Amino acid sequence: MLLSVVGPGIITGTVDNDATGITGYALAGSQFGYDLLWLLIVTAICLAAIQEMVARMGTVTGKGLSDLIRERFGVAPTAWVMVLLFVANAATTVAEFAGIGGASQLLFGDVARYIAIPVAGVFVWFLVLRGSFRMVERLLLILSLVFVSYIVSAVLAHPKWSEVIHHTVVPTFHLTAPYLLIFITIVGTTITPWMAFFQQSNVADKGLHPSELRLERIDTYTGILALNVVAFFIIVATGATVFVHHVHVDPSDPSAFAKIALALKPLAGQYAEQLFAIGLLNASLMAASVLPLSTTYAITEAFGLERGIDKSFAEAPAFLTIYTTMIVLGAAIAMFPGAPLALITNLPNIVNGLMLPLLLPILMLLANDKRTMGRYANTPLFNVFSGIVFVFLSLVTLAFLASIFFPALFAA
Amino acid sequence: MIFLSDFLNAEVVDVRQHRVGRVRDLVVVMTEPFPKVTGVILKNNRKVRSLDWSVVRSWDNKELSLKVDAASLQPHSRADSELWLARQILDKQIVDMDGRRVVRVNDLQLSQVEGSMLVIGVDIGSRGLARRVGLEGLGRRVTSALGLDWPQKLISWEAVDPVKSDVSSVKLRIAHSKLAKMHPADIADIVNELSPDDRSAVFAALDDEKAADTLEEIDEPQMQASILERLDVERASDILEAMAPDEAADLLADMPRERAQQLLQKMEEDEAGDVEELLAYREDTAGGLMTTEYVAVLHTLTAAQAIERLRELEPDAESVYYVYVIDEEEHLLGVLSLRDLIVAKPETKIRGFMIKNVISVRLDAGPREVAEVTSKYNLLAVPVVDEHNRIHGIVTVDDVMERVMPARGGGRRRRIF
Repeated sequence: MLLSVVGPGIITGTVDNDATGITGYALAGSQFGYDLLWLLIVTAICLAAIQEMVARMGTVTGKGLSDLIRERFGVAPTAWVMVLLFVANAATTVAEFAGIGGASQLLFGDVARYIAIPVAGVFVWFLVLRGSFRMVERLLLILSLVFVSYIVSAVLAHPKWSEVIHHTVVPTFHLTAPYLLIFITIVGTTITPWMAFFQQSNVADKGLHPSELRLERIDTYTGILALNVVAFFIIVATGATVFVHHVHVDPSDPSAFAKIALALKPLAGQYAEQLFAIGLLNASLMAASVLPLSTTYAITEAFGLERGIDKSFAEAPAFLTIYTTMIVLGAAIAMFPGAPLALITNLPNIVNGLMLPLLLPILMLLANDKRTMGRYANTPLFNVFSGIVFVFLSLVTLAFLASIFFPALFAA
Repeated sequence: MIFLSDFLNAEVVDVRQHRVGRVRDLVVVMTEPFPKVTGVILKNNRKVRSLDWSVVRSWDNKELSLKVDAASLQPHSRADSELWLARQILDKQIVDMDGRRVVRVNDLQLSQVEGSMLVIGVDIGSRGLARRVGLEGLGRRVTSALGLDWPQKLISWEAVDPVKSDVSSVKLRIAHSKLAKMHPADIADIVNELSPDDRSAVFAALDDEKAADTLEEIDEPQMQASILERLDVERASDILEAMAPDEAADLLADMPRERAQQLLQKMEEDEAGDVEELLAYREDTAGGLMTTEYVAVLHTLTAAQAIERLRELEPDAESVYYVYVIDEEEHLLGVLSLRDLIVAKPETKIRGFMIKNVISVRLDAGPREVAEVTSKYNLLAVPVVDEHNRIHGIVTVDDVMERVMPARGGGRRRRIF
């Protein structure tokens, strides 16, 4: 019963708590305590602006985002967007498989990832193409309740609530490279282009009527709220445990996951690592199933290629090639011996971060198009608001680029 | 071959070689069998204007030269059934009637026939995509160097149906006339791939019977409901009337209560009554599975009268497997096959040769029980009766099998996004 009311917004919000998300929030809490809590409110508002637009477009036009981009901007701009989307999502898929590897290492020891990653790759491939994807999606959504453990653990850790609230409301900013890196990671992992594509396709596929827009908005905001509540408590839980005990967490260190898992100790005691691993595994598997598929649909839709998960290779060669490539590539890179996992999990945030300032104007143009949106087009006030979001995201991206090319600027 | 992309963005120069602007779009009127280009939309320094196709002298290499000078240019004469190719067709989805699928327009093929420029084909292939980004030449060199063939993928304009939701409904009726001739199952497959607005546009072009059959072929209740919700109440209720009562009831059960009530009120009383009765039963009972379209005749009739009665009723094919025999209060007395009726002497009373102990199920029987009964007695349909043995409907074997068998049908397209 409960599952029948779960809408595209809630699914999108849950899938967004993927491997890069969990690691990102946990690193934030481990390294800076509660200092970054305020950022969650800012990202939630930005995310709400973007996801509301795509949910509205999906409801009103009944078309996917890549359909709209193609129909409005023609072949060449669409091709650029699709290339970027493919790169960003392929990079994120690598990170999800790295998450699967990391989780399996915590559960079964070091060698496990060389078995777990290919098994997961094959599993995901078959699951989506030959199995009942909807059923497994629901199962994974239920398993996502494992994130509640962070809430419980955070409470059990007895954080100083006055401090928590203070940092949530009052921004704390350090102009240092590590802070900036985490800052961007959080923005990059929370607000991603693929979520826009994913949610709009899902909304369009549901065939909602514009009169149901209010419900779809509630669904969207609920998804974002759920996502941010989990993020909030991951930061509080790590802040109240790892950070206060001055455990130094270096993301490039193989033991980083084990250290982060300390956050669950107040709840799970000696099984903290296992609990953390299960959460990570679930989050990674869900995103690894959803991402390649949503990317493949976006690209094939944009170019009008034959698509559908029940098509044979002869019927839909491009569809199956893109889909399989993403999974094989993702699994292979994540499995590469001595792969720099820190870079792998950060790469998607770089590409996503770069893509956002590009995608947002496109979204705004589409959502302002009176021809397709009619009376549901953006209001002037909303445009001012999303303009501010655009400026904010562009600044973050610029700062991030600066920190890469001129690291000296941000030295402590 | 001439393509729309050859014209787009081409420089327009007048008879004195003065620049007039760049081509933005071509305007066509929907003539049969091929649309005819009537005008050119051009843009110069943010100013958009149009000119008549008749003043175009020649075009070559991204340049369009005119027969007249810029000062004497007149806007093209507007027509009701005109379309802007780049804005309304290019990059949009259209229905490929031969392939029975939805494709995207990568380019449009034009041809000069007896002084007119006609749209004759739609490019749906990778060459069209490459041409749009200026890479067709390069691609051809690469493929021919590799000894490969790079075929054009074109479909004839006669075989497409431009699904356009922002075109007025009069034009749509013409545009969809080809689509309307297809088999309902094929239309359903196509509709499956369209956006909700386009779906409604297709339905607007079908007559009530065809629309009802197509709706029955779409087996996702949610989608059926969303299509009806986007049509106006009058039209939606007309379509519902044309549907089998059990299908109509299933559909209404999936709609918001208010809207369903509204539709029921607009329907003819007879049909609405049948549907309302079906709606009252729970979905997982024989009552919920049954249809009220069955053939029943009074026990007092002779074989000849019964056949005459059948002629009057004009039953659908699927409901004529069995002819049920009832009394004045609709109590189920017996059953006949068509064969029994035909071979019997015309003047014999049907009471005399009907099969008296009829296999039936109660209104509250579960689907499994209904399935067991039909398979045990090899029935194509089983009558549904109340506690007083009054007949209320029949459950056909395909309806009950659909319910009992696992949902995954082989042929249907599965969708995720």
